[in-house]
Amino acid sequence: MALASCIGLCSLLLLTSGCGQANEKRVPQLFEVEISQMQFKPAVLMVQPGDTIRFINHDMVPHDITEQTAKTWSSGPLQPQQSWMHVANQSDDYYCSLHQVMKGKILIE
Amino acid sequence: MKKTTTTSLLAVLAIAGLLCFSTALQAQKASTLSDPEIASVAVTANQIDIDYAQLALKTSKNAEVINFAKTMTNDHKAVIAQAVALVTKLKVTPQSNSLTEKLLADAAATRKQLQTNKGRAFDKAYINNEVAYHKAVIGVVESKLIPEAGNAELKALLQNVLPALRTHLAHAEMTQKMIQ
Repeated sequence: MALASCIGLCSLLLLTSGCGQANEKRVPQLFEVEISQMQFKPAVLMVQPGDTIRFINHDMVPHDITEQTAKTWSSGPLQPQQSWMHVANQSDDYYCSLHQVMKGKILIE
Repeated sequence: MKKTTTTSLLAVLAIAGLLCFSTALQAQKASTLSDPEIASVAVTANQIDIDYAQLALKTSKNAEVINFAKTMTNDHKAVIAQAVALVTKLKVTPQSNSLTEKLLADAAATRKQLQTNKGRAFDKAYINNEVAYHKAVIGVVESKLIPEAGNAELKALLQNVLPALRTHLAHAEMTQKMIQ
């Protein structure tokens, strides 16, 4: 009886640990995009939904990061050495609205 | 016909300005600029573009031109601030020279001509001048100021400014196409 209970308990533990691994969520990661020499580096960043991107301005002039198509999100002006975080849930093209030739891309895997 | 004449006149003025800049550069080539002279040219060239932008902000009603002019104001002020911080640190006093004086004289003439325009004619004239001016300044920075800068920090500052100048030129050319 005790052995049967033990086997049953062990089976239950194995089953739930297996289910736990299947349900285990990926921890969102932090990526960095540097703004320097009037470029977003990297210009194309591949992430997963929920990942955070930290944009940091290492130039001597202000920049911003603005979603290009419908302007759905924007950092506002970032002065030199300022940074801004964006949680990526979809692929987006973005640009600097102050220097409209500066462009970047977020791609969701 | 009047607008075409004004636009043509300003195109000629922009080309003339470039030639004058080149002539001044040729004259200056005989003598190397000192670091205080380079600092003077750098600050002056930036201030000139701020002044052009202020005129555009007062005169233009075009959103693209206004956006461009605001960026020129902010960026060139930031560059001047960096230049001033550096010369202060180095205990250098910017020294006016023939190239500085030529830049100022040409800029005064260009501003006077720009002020005779309004509306679309002004927008086109302003942006055409910005394209020409940035091309000229990039040329001077690349061919004269950077090679002749003696102090490593001054040279680095000038090198760091070049990407901004090239982006300004690209932005001006993009705006030029939008308002044609």
